[in-house]
Amino acid sequence: MVTSISYALRDLTRSYKKLFSIIVTLFISLFILSLIINLETGLKKELNNNAKVLLGGDFEVDTRSKKINEQFLQELKQQSTVSSTIEFSTMLTGSLNDDTNAFFIRLKAVDDQYPLYGKVFSKPENAMQRLQNEKNAIVVNRKIFETLNLKVDDTVYVKQSPFKVVGFVETVPDLGRALLFGDFAVVSNKAFDTLNITSLGSFVNYEYKVKTNNSNVLNFVNEQLKQFPTYKIRLPENAANNLKRLISNFSEFLSLVSISAMLIAGIGISNTLISFINQKNTSIAIMKSVGFKSVEIKRIFYLEVFCLLFIITTLAYLLSLAVIPQANLFISNLGISLESEFSITNYSLILLTGLLVVVIFCIPTISSIEQIKATSLFRNIFQLTKFQFCFKNSVIILFLLFTLLGIFLLRSDKPYYTTTYFVFFFIFCGVFYLLSQLIIYILKKIKFSNHLPLRFAMKNITQERSIFPITVLSLGIGATLLLTLTLVGTNFKRELEKSIPEIAPDFFYVSIQKDVKDNFISSLKKQDPQLKYETVPIAPASVAKINGVDPLTYIKSSNDSFWVLERDRRISWSDTPPQDNPIVEGKWFDLQSDQLQISLDAKVARNFGVNLNDELTLKIYGREVTGTVTSLRQVDYRDLSINFAMIINPKFANQLPHEYIATAKFSDPKLIQEAKLVQKFPNISAIKVSTYLGKITSLVNKIFIAVVIISSVVVIVGLMVIASAVVVQARIGVYQNLIFKILGLRSGKLIQANLIEFFITYVSIFLIAGLFGIFTSRFVIETIFRLGWQFELMPVFNVLFIIGALTLFLILVNTYRFLKPSVYPMVRNE
Amino acid sequence: MAVVGKSGSGKTSLIMLMGGLEKPSSGEIIFDQQSISSFSEDQLADIRKQKIGIVFQSFYLIPNYTALENVSLILEINGDKNAKQQAEELLVQFGLKDRLNHFPTQLSGGEQQRVAIARSMAVKPKMILADEPTGNLDSENSDMISKLLFEYADKNQSSLVLVTHDLKFAEKCDRMIKIEDGMIV
Repeated sequence: MVTSISYALRDLTRSYKKLFSIIVTLFISLFILSLIINLETGLKKELNNNAKVLLGGDFEVDTRSKKINEQFLQELKQQSTVSSTIEFSTMLTGSLNDDTNAFFIRLKAVDDQYPLYGKVFSKPENAMQRLQNEKNAIVVNRKIFETLNLKVDDTVYVKQSPFKVVGFVETVPDLGRALLFGDFAVVSNKAFDTLNITSLGSFVNYEYKVKTNNSNVLNFVNEQLKQFPTYKIRLPENAANNLKRLISNFSEFLSLVSISAMLIAGIGISNTLISFINQKNTSIAIMKSVGFKSVEIKRIFYLEVFCLLFIITTLAYLLSLAVIPQANLFISNLGISLESEFSITNYSLILLTGLLVVVIFCIPTISSIEQIKATSLFRNIFQLTKFQFCFKNSVIILFLLFTLLGIFLLRSDKPYYTTTYFVFFFIFCGVFYLLSQLIIYILKKIKFSNHLPLRFAMKNITQERSIFPITVLSLGIGATLLLTLTLVGTNFKRELEKSIPEIAPDFFYVSIQKDVKDNFISSLKKQDPQLKYETVPIAPASVAKINGVDPLTYIKSSNDSFWVLERDRRISWSDTPPQDNPIVEGKWFDLQSDQLQISLDAKVARNFGVNLNDELTLKIYGREVTGTVTSLRQVDYRDLSINFAMIINPKFANQLPHEYIATAKFSDPKLIQEAKLVQKFPNISAIKVSTYLGKITSLVNKIFIAVVIISSVVVIVGLMVIASAVVVQARIGVYQNLIFKILGLRSGKLIQANLIEFFITYVSIFLIAGLFGIFTSRFVIETIFRLGWQFELMPVFNVLFIIGALTLFLILVNTYRFLKPSVYPMVRNE
Repeated sequence: MAVVGKSGSGKTSLIMLMGGLEKPSSGEIIFDQQSISSFSEDQLADIRKQKIGIVFQSFYLIPNYTALENVSLILEINGDKNAKQQAEELLVQFGLKDRLNHFPTQLSGGEQQRVAIARSMAVKPKMILADEPTGNLDSENSDMISKLLFEYADKNQSSLVLVTHDLKFAEKCDRMIKIEDGMIV
């Protein structure tokens, strides 16, 4: 063993240049893997460590739109520290006449106990103290502060009430979705009382954060909740669910990209390694002739690869740790900060993944050493080795492959996506391999051809030890990955850049009370007689039971439709189905019946396992009512019109207290006088669609940048693999080309033969890679990112053209190199 | 003509120059009454294809072509429509009737060299350049190869330029030149 190690090290130090492409592909793919694993674990760890901070307490009692029962609160306060917070949506303006800078904000009213955990980062630092001590004081988020060009002690208006700005906040510890993505401001509970809030209309939410060391307090609250069924408890593990889901989806996609990079790098490693072994053909034969056994030589090669792997993994892991702090630039608004921390578990995981990939792809390559015979020294003939798949090798490879997939599946939050992805990855590999065999079969059948270059090309492809199948496989998978990432990128970009949908309104107006509705609409019409508007009634409701069972007992927070269960949703009602929500199953309501009927978003129904005629119990104003699902609708929330997950029948709903939500599309944006409306209807909040989209866009842009960076690195790995396949092919052709040349074949004919070989190989690959790329990108965009997918020809064409041109260039350069006269003395030296 | 001399004296270089495989740094090469020194790669390739056959010490057959394909290749390059048939006839004459569809790795050294000679003779070239053609062979095979070379060079009226260390072999030639340090002595 010691001898083998010394041989391996000696050979490695002398031959590492020949293994350059292995070193680079392995390094890049292991670096990506390290980066993603470190980022993912760092983020999850940070979220778990800060779970109480993110929630704002040891647990939270959410009383929704009503204040907590006073007696219950007093009893709770006797046993623990309670901080009451109120959140609601409203409008904030810089002045009462300001037409341009009205902000739709989430206003958070807090008491002097706030925050129970974590810290509010404000400027100046005493802003939160002033907030509690001074009358009608407010802190706004940095963006509002800067946009309105505010100074400390300036005045802003919320619902026409003046507030003194005592500073701005960078972030608050208990991140809600609205605070994470939108604008927000903080006032004291006392200041909140001065605002005339209509509880229903302002999306008000009362939350009571509790801090205690006594575990009996939670039991006490649970007991009390039986009396107050509308109250809900939130525990730290349920904090920041949206954030966790976002991170989970993001890391899921990147994990799949990274393992693809590893597997593709594996193909490159086998290409380079077989070429390396072929170059060492004579050395290996000599070693065998002096008494080395095949198994000993194989051990030396394995040791060389393992040494490389160990060094590269360590470097890649350390570099990824150095890069991690840069990720904080992307997540600065989340209020969490990632730190580089060496984790032996992560390092071992990366090393194990690398080891499995390397061994899987090295087995058939290094086993080919057995094909080299000492007798070839006497034959004096150049022998090419080929990948060796015997039964034993195949079993070991399959076992290692399943182990590798098992590791990724165990780590995955969504094993379904991971499994689907891998299944298709291997199907694609199989299809490309079969394609190569089909081409070989067809070409072998073609007997006629007087065209010499064509015959040379055919012979090259169909020869017994041709590396044509492996070229097709690596180029096919590389091109598919490249196309997939390009189409994912262009679709992502299009989604971001596309203008606001045609049917999207300019404004959403929320909290319109019944008594002001007509007046409000006529005010809007006065501003623009051509105004297009829509008003719909809304009422709050939550899903209490599905077929008699509390859905929270079996639907996990990772479910894509969990948002429907999380809090109260707004429901609406209508005599006719919404035009842009086609019914996909069932019938619209029986308008004569006063029994509750529900039309449900088809995707939500699918995610919850709800079918037509199932029973849904809705909690409406604290009362549980059971109704039947009569239809399922296809809802596209991206069109930005008014959409509801649940619509109920009008005859039942008309008895409910309700308010209205409206949309307005102006014929000319100049006609919009936003501040005037805010002034006239202080309880109504306006959400400007373009501003809302801007916020979403900025977040998605950050994600897109990360996807593009990581994808680009994977693309580089793909191109290196393609290059290695081409170089290997060309090296094998060198000897043959030399003999052709000596026999008097013009270089033009050889180049023609190479061109024909290129076209036979790549045209078929590209057609199939094109189809696979389209299919996979659609899967990623629609299933993982839940965005709209659209085919775009030009990017597909460009990518295929670039890969084709690059491959052709590599082939021609390699062919040309070995046609140069200076290479002829090689013949003499061999 | 036999070319003899010590290792490193310049024998193979001479053959390389004669075959248009290397270009002279000075001087001129006249072949078939024309100066080929300034010929392009493709012009030199055409000359080799039609008029020069080369035999190497290490045979240099194409490993993934059968014996028959290795020989018919040169005929096909020259546009011969009966390439396969002619190649087969030649290989049969060379005693390789049972080895037509064998790959080089399946042939013995002597058989490989016979295929290589058949390939060089196939187009009946004006000149055959043979670089140590028996260097890797035993005496029995050497005798067979030298017989074939002389017989077919004679039959095709080809000039044979033979680089060899074997004086007995060289003495069979009409003329023998000796090279030392790149000079004919």
